[in-house]
Amino acid sequence: MTEGGGFLPIIAMLPFLGALLPGLMIRAGRNVCAVTTAMPTILALVMLAILAPSVFSGEVIEAEIAWLPALGLKASFFLDGLGLLFAGMILGVGLLITLYARFYLAGEDPMGVFYTYLLLFQGAMLGIVISDNILLLLIFWELTSLSSFLLIGYWKHLPEGRQGARMALAVTGGGGLAMIGGMLILGNIAGSYELTEILAETEAIQASDWYLPALILILLGTFTKSAQFPFHFWLPHAMAAPTPVSAYLHSATMVKAGVFLMARLWPVLAGTDAWFYIVATTGLVTMVIGALIALFKDDLKALLAFSTVSHLGLLTMLLGFGTPVAAGVAVFHIINHLTFKASLFMCAGIVDHEAHTRDIKRLGGLASLMPVTFAISTVAALSMAGIPLFNGFLSKELMLEEAAHTTWAGNPQIVGIVATIGALLSVAYSFRFVAHVFLGPVRDDYPHKPHDPPFGMYAAPALLAVLVVLIGVFPAATVEPLVNLTAGAVTGQEMHMHLKLWHGVTPALFMSVIAVVGGAILLGLHRPLDRLWIAMPRPEAKVIFDWIVRQAATVSGRIAEGTHNGAISRYLAIFTAATVVLGYLAWAGGGMAPATREMLPIPPVVGVGWVMLLGATLAVVVMHRNRFRALVLIGIIGLMISAGFVYMSAPDLALTQISVETVTIILLLLALHFMPKETPRESGPALRLRDAVIALGAGGGVAMLTYAFLRRDFSTISDFHLENSYSGGGGTNVVNVILVDFRGYDTFGEIIVLGIAGLTIYALMEALLAGPASRRLRNWDFSRDRSRDRHPLMMVVATRVMMPIAAVVGLYIFLRGHNQPGGGFVAGLVISIALLMQYMASGFAWTQGRQRIEYHSMIGSGVVIAGLTGVGAWFAGQPFLTSAFGYVHLPPIEEFELATAALFDLGVFLAVLGAVMLTLYSLSRIARYAGETVNIGPMDYDPSQPPEEMAREEAERREEEG
Amino acid sequence: MTSADFNILLPEIVLAVFAMAALMFAVYTGKDRTAPAILWATAAIFLVLALFIGINGDGAQAAFGGLFVDDAFSRFAKILILVSAAAVLVMSHDYMAKRDLLRFEYPLLVALAAVGMMVMVSAGDLLVLYMGLELQSLSLYVVASLRRDSAKSTEAGLKYFVLGALSSGLLLYGASLTYGYAGTTEFAGIIGAATAEDLPLGLLFGLVFLVSGLAFKVSAVPFHMWTPDVYEGAPTPITAFFATAPKVAAMALFARLVHDAFGGITAEWGQIVAFLSVASMFLGAVAAIGQRDIKRLMAYSSINHMGFALMGLAAGTAFGVQAMLVYMAIYVTMNVGTFAFILSMSRDGRVVTDIRALNQYSKREPLKALAVLVLMFSLAGVPPLVGFFGKFYVLRAAVDADMAWLAVAGVIASVIALFYYLRIVYYMYFGEETEALDSGMAPTQWALLMVAAAVMVLGVVNLFGIEGPAAAAASALVD
Repeated sequence: MTEGGGFLPIIAMLPFLGALLPGLMIRAGRNVCAVTTAMPTILALVMLAILAPSVFSGEVIEAEIAWLPALGLKASFFLDGLGLLFAGMILGVGLLITLYARFYLAGEDPMGVFYTYLLLFQGAMLGIVISDNILLLLIFWELTSLSSFLLIGYWKHLPEGRQGARMALAVTGGGGLAMIGGMLILGNIAGSYELTEILAETEAIQASDWYLPALILILLGTFTKSAQFPFHFWLPHAMAAPTPVSAYLHSATMVKAGVFLMARLWPVLAGTDAWFYIVATTGLVTMVIGALIALFKDDLKALLAFSTVSHLGLLTMLLGFGTPVAAGVAVFHIINHLTFKASLFMCAGIVDHEAHTRDIKRLGGLASLMPVTFAISTVAALSMAGIPLFNGFLSKELMLEEAAHTTWAGNPQIVGIVATIGALLSVAYSFRFVAHVFLGPVRDDYPHKPHDPPFGMYAAPALLAVLVVLIGVFPAATVEPLVNLTAGAVTGQEMHMHLKLWHGVTPALFMSVIAVVGGAILLGLHRPLDRLWIAMPRPEAKVIFDWIVRQAATVSGRIAEGTHNGAISRYLAIFTAATVVLGYLAWAGGGMAPATREMLPIPPVVGVGWVMLLGATLAVVVMHRNRFRALVLIGIIGLMISAGFVYMSAPDLALTQISVETVTIILLLLALHFMPKETPRESGPALRLRDAVIALGAGGGVAMLTYAFLRRDFSTISDFHLENSYSGGGGTNVVNVILVDFRGYDTFGEIIVLGIAGLTIYALMEALLAGPASRRLRNWDFSRDRSRDRHPLMMVVATRVMMPIAAVVGLYIFLRGHNQPGGGFVAGLVISIALLMQYMASGFAWTQGRQRIEYHSMIGSGVVIAGLTGVGAWFAGQPFLTSAFGYVHLPPIEEFELATAALFDLGVFLAVLGAVMLTLYSLSRIARYAGETVNIGPMDYDPSQPPEEMAREEAERREEEG
Repeated sequence: MTSADFNILLPEIVLAVFAMAALMFAVYTGKDRTAPAILWATAAIFLVLALFIGINGDGAQAAFGGLFVDDAFSRFAKILILVSAAAVLVMSHDYMAKRDLLRFEYPLLVALAAVGMMVMVSAGDLLVLYMGLELQSLSLYVVASLRRDSAKSTEAGLKYFVLGALSSGLLLYGASLTYGYAGTTEFAGIIGAATAEDLPLGLLFGLVFLVSGLAFKVSAVPFHMWTPDVYEGAPTPITAFFATAPKVAAMALFARLVHDAFGGITAEWGQIVAFLSVASMFLGAVAAIGQRDIKRLMAYSSINHMGFALMGLAAGTAFGVQAMLVYMAIYVTMNVGTFAFILSMSRDGRVVTDIRALNQYSKREPLKALAVLVLMFSLAGVPPLVGFFGKFYVLRAAVDADMAWLAVAGVIASVIALFYYLRIVYYMYFGEETEALDSGMAPTQWALLMVAAAVMVLGVVNLFGIEGPAAAAASALVD
């Protein structure tokens, strides 16, 4: 922190602290409020004045406070010539605006709020110009956007005010965000986020590949802020704000922030072709277009707004030239523009305030009614036109001189000519401001009888007008040191500009003369030209902006609709397609070692299996609308997979697969009975084609992946299990040992899940049958597709005979499970199938009546048994589910093995059986609701019963059905 | 399995036991009449656990042989998850009670989801990862369709479930490929196998599918499709929940997986994550412009924000992870505040979600409008509000990792996104006169809105000191 640096953070903070005051003081009256608002500004000005001498002696005052170091963010400030000039301008004009607003704002406007916003804005602007850290600068930068949003929107009742505020914030805020990117890159190249250090890295920055992106992003920020073409449109629309705001923001300070930043970064960014062609061209175009539009604006403030756009273009162009002298001229013109334009804005405000209109077509002849205002306006307008003896002339001539010496794309004249046209237009609208408002005959149709305002209101513009003349006549004595100092700060080198009235007969003088004469002529022709202008089609910025907004909404709506229309089929398609693409990228990007394994020959059996598998799969795709058929085909696929397991010598898996397949298909068949038999057709051929492509892509991708993996060596975990299955789990059937021992936890979890599934189906069915679904079921006529022989004799007898055999098989499978293919899971399924067959043969009610065990408790006891077996291991000091086994020798039979795993298997068995049967029970409940009859006998035609009894039963059944 | 292991898992165990015990209690006593009490108790337990984790946590410990990791990273994420979940519960009470949606299952499902999330962020193994993820997802599937009598809510829940199941399948496929080629499911083992010099294709595919599965959970484009529908269909408090805690958990899990298991091949996943990031940022920004429904708009907004958070991750550095964590913390705070406000949006007691209903809101409710303005600007990342610092953190991480193009893309996306946040502000301050919204607001909602807005402003001082813990968390993950 250098000497006096302590003042800088205080200066930056003062307006923010001060912003609290006006809101509090407004109760004490308007004058007190205005004075309290002025206090922080005056205080800051005093501190600035204390620092000024050291700055003039070439010192750079710095201050630094740590903030968020990880981000590179420091609250560091520095003050050099450029900062001093801008800070002085911001505070000085701020003070004048405070004074002016005191008289301008009407009694009903909430003044405290206004002053609060004003100070917030002032603080943000001050922050921009004295920040050393570019992140800090960014923060202040956007803060100006926000506070200006509040200021512009201050008069909420005006619809233009709303639109203007929104447009201003959208454009400048967006530009500011873009600038974040630019600053970040800049800081990254320079290796520091401190301006003072970045400014020393010119070569590194200009040589970097990222120079151009950084430049463009930063210029986006500055161009939007300084209303450069094609972003100039927001500024005139922001003019709906109260005049003090327009004068402060849109002439003196905020719009200059862009220019300021270009000047600040001038040493590192300027001097390249990219800089010249982007910045100088944009400035030139803006200057001419702004001036042209200004000439034809009837709203006083709009005229001034476009004139401001034009002058900002001029400044941008000067900075864009990239020569130190041009930069110096820019600095000089900043000062001059400030004085005359702020003065003109306030005059326009006075006219509006007094005559209650700012429409030039309704004004004229005010010179005699408002002599003071007239005098001030004339001085300022002549300066704006660039008439000698006023400061505008000096800088404009220097500008023309520079333009005359600039070559654009090999053409030495073009810049000079276009700049002269710009100056000419500028003269025309400046004269118009005076001629059409103040000169001419006094009218009798003013909306309000105008007269000069109180002194307080014209004091500020008058003071500025005095400055205009002083600088204009004695430039060397008044501002030359400041200009040189500032220009030195901008360019980073000593500057010795000599400002004087008379430069001799130079090209610039001719250009000036042409501009003034041409401007006067143009004004004379204004009336016909105006008609032509109005008749001419011209792009209206607001219309274009609104159009863009509407288009953006439409396009965005289309994107959103296209991808998020709510159809899950589309979501799935996007999801799958994205995965396929990602997979492909991984495939293409990853290195693939060459295949290490030969393709095996395909034996005929496998070939046949393949064909069946593929055929069934294709058939499912084609016939999936018919659900029964699809189910049968799925069954085929399942069987082929089981066959595959058999072929690959995995009888255990085959057994499990086959029994699971059987049970699920039977349950599905039963459930399908109560559902529509056909799937509705919902998609057109194009959509189906798309789905086919995606499906083939995904399926083919997975197949290729598998193929690629299988042709390369990989280590499997099978060896581990084969080695440890007997020694660790006491079984030679590795699959079963895995299930009940190594992965016993999984199995335990699985049976719980299975049990929960069974219970959930039951619970859901209960809830469903209590609701509207039961009504639909009751009204459903099943009698049409009901067979007369649903419980056929042959099937009943066969299943009865099979039942004990199946039970024995189940028991056998259960017992041998640990060493041979089988186990509790398969056993449970086998018994389930046997029972399922009973139910199918004789009907649910009949079989249920002969069934003693309750399924809920069967599931529960299964889980409990399995769990307790696991807990048992704790008592042996082992972790949960560790299996123990031993050999038992009972004399009549051979020695056999007992493992705790068998007990666990019993739990599995019970849970599986219970879950399957409970599901069946739930399904049968639907059947009952749907009017399924209850058969009393085991079969429809029982030969062992006498015929009359059968007939009676038959009659009973008919009755029930009827 | 020792008591030390269980000690490390204590917060998760406490929460899980509480959830199950409270479930039993409610089923056998007053059912939905106990809901308010359970809701407050759950929120309180969340906060107590967050405090406990914050005070008690120290260093890095692994339980169950490295399956479960407790380190600065997981603690940071857990505290964020618990606090945001508590905030959402607290502010949802009024809304749910008024609309007869306050079922006792709601806070308990949130609690179980929180358990899942806590397991997720502590996962040191693919299977633990999956367990946590599924516990969270299953709870979320159910809460998404909590409003069973609304077709929209059930449809949203079902869609979420179907897509979620698909993504879980994808994730599992990735996990099994990884297992197959790394020979282990433990992150500590995978990182040894996944080296840049000799990367088996199987591991690369495993990585790609794992990342795709996780991208679904953070709703990153192109796996984001469920987000707008679920946000719109679910009751607003559920939407608020979806937008906060699960996002943190999924993002933290994402970071943990890519760094702990695949930290050796940063370049490989960095590209995928960068792609997800860019796609999310742009789609989130562009598709939101046309939205009129504020919940849908917030859905796209969260997609956009996830893109930014992923940008930090894509950098593949410790600073990137730190940036991501800071971003998520800020994001969650902003969303809690914004949803607290959205919850209060009603007219004559009926829920309103059209943003045009906010017209001229500032005139009637200047303070609340100002708070929303602050939140919106913060969401847009406009300096000096805290949202900007979050954005800046991730942009900086990207630039530092030589991914300046990603940062530039992010900046452009944020400019586009600015537009729709601005529109809400525009309606509030300058919109046409419309029928007024109800002025009442539950005290908890009001408080959360104000606190969030105040944090966005006051946080500029030092981000409430979140950087330090975030940096510690990041360094626990990346050396």
